[in-house]
Amino acid sequence: MTESLTLDIVAGKMKEFGNAEQVRKNRIRITTPPDRVHEAIRMIQAIFGFDRLITISAVDNGRTLELVYHLTGPHRMVVSIAVELPRDQPAIPTTSDILPSAAIYERQIHDLFGIQFPGHPRLTKIILNEDWPQDEFPLRKDWEPHADTFYGGIRKERI
Amino acid sequence: MPILSTAVSGRRGSDMPEVVVSIGPHHPALKEPVNFKVVVDGEKIVRLELDLSYNHRGIEKAAEQRDFVRVLPLMERVCGICSHAHSTAFAKGIEEIMQLEIPPRAQYIRTIIAELERMHSHLLWLGVAAHLIGFNTLFMWTWRDREAVQDTVEEMSGNRVHYGMNEVGGVRRDLTPAQVTAALGRLPNLEERINKYVDMVNYEETMLIRFRGVGKLSKEEALRYGTVGPTARASGVDYDIRKDDPYLAYADAPWSVVTDTNGDVYGRTRVRIWEAQESLKIIRYCLENLPEGPIRVPAPKHAPKGEILSRYEAPRGELAHFIRTNGTDKVERVDIRTPTLANWTSVAMCLVNQNIADIPVIVAAIDPCLSCTSRITLLDKRTKRTDIISFDDLSRRMCSRDHGQE
Repeated sequence: MTESLTLDIVAGKMKEFGNAEQVRKNRIRITTPPDRVHEAIRMIQAIFGFDRLITISAVDNGRTLELVYHLTGPHRMVVSIAVELPRDQPAIPTTSDILPSAAIYERQIHDLFGIQFPGHPRLTKIILNEDWPQDEFPLRKDWEPHADTFYGGIRKERI
Repeated sequence: MPILSTAVSGRRGSDMPEVVVSIGPHHPALKEPVNFKVVVDGEKIVRLELDLSYNHRGIEKAAEQRDFVRVLPLMERVCGICSHAHSTAFAKGIEEIMQLEIPPRAQYIRTIIAELERMHSHLLWLGVAAHLIGFNTLFMWTWRDREAVQDTVEEMSGNRVHYGMNEVGGVRRDLTPAQVTAALGRLPNLEERINKYVDMVNYEETMLIRFRGVGKLSKEEALRYGTVGPTARASGVDYDIRKDDPYLAYADAPWSVVTDTNGDVYGRTRVRIWEAQESLKIIRYCLENLPEGPIRVPAPKHAPKGEILSRYEAPRGELAHFIRTNGTDKVERVDIRTPTLANWTSVAMCLVNQNIADIPVIVAAIDPCLSCTSRITLLDKRTKRTDIISFDDLSRRMCSRDHGQE
């Protein structure tokens, strides 16, 4: 295990990307604009050796859609990079080119929240069935199932 | 559905047409619903598509509609094998947001159940792996030994599968001195059996032949594809949340992170058996040093606004619950990243250029848990050459899906 990272070191190096705060022991959170995420991850990989993406979490807070990229590395510190995206046509450049494991998580978020990831090699259905309606995103807060919509399974007329 | 073989296309410059073998989702050889579309050249795997989307149950959405008391049983039902992992990860996240101090006795009881769960899961895995290589004697042995663990869990919680031990603020059941004595009494025999497996893996021909060199994953690959748990530790990656971000009673108990350098199914087998040994140490320590005191603290009904990434070392690897609360008695969002989802990327990598008969054991080597993952990943290997794979090529393939059923 290499020497531990402190908030001051991380905040100093990542100043240009946004505010860094210590949420608890071992956790640092940086809030950054959507167009800087790719750069921020590359930077944090290069300087601090973050070699593992834990997950990308997505939240609908009612006003905006949020993404949080959690990364960790040999020093065992978790840095979370948070962004907010507008609800209408949310999009953020893919990180699957620098983090191979991000591809799966991005496709999952695309299914459930309808966020676009430009540059993603193939953003097709991954977690929902293929016959799920194209424009419905079930984990958005304003999603409501409709009685007359077909969500998969066996069609009524075939029973 | 039986194995369905269809010749799809003749490949240029080859005498044999490519053959797609479609296995599952319902197939006698599979334990859970999954579909493999394997393109083979003779006995060698050329490319593979893995479809796991048969089990999506919308648990994350359901969790937003219920208060914390009702979410805990729901979390247990994410997975049958690691039910305690999910409920503990959720409970400790909520407790941290509420800034509750959990009594040490509750922490120890949670740890005991967690390690019993790990031990039964690893023994179960060893049995499944043994069965898949046709070594059914070992399968019978490990599952018989696993019963001792199951009996202990049942005695403590009343259940073999969903233990229902957790609640926000502590645990629901105390351990009586009689239960502690009974559990301690079962440990020597279990220890002897596990030591036997530790020894056996060194000389048993069947295991050596079928596990060695199968599904190789280097340390660099393991890190790059975000591999977790025993799969990563078998490749020499020493990430273990119990050490990296200590929770429950792991900081007190004497144990160490086990790693292996083989990086194949053999390594994953050894890591799991050694981990069962470490679990025994932790369980014995916790049972012998069980602190006195209350087993829970009263928890408020509402949680303040907050956000937490709750990490937990489940039997299959790192489990992450991302929890956001909004000041009410319900979560605003709980995002569950299961260890199996993190490991699929590496499985798809391991399989290329391997023998078709090794699919079950390579897939089983990550100990996949499909119900809790229910996600999909795939690999598209177009060229016949499979020995050199560039990084870009790889990440492109990991995400492409331009063949098969669409």
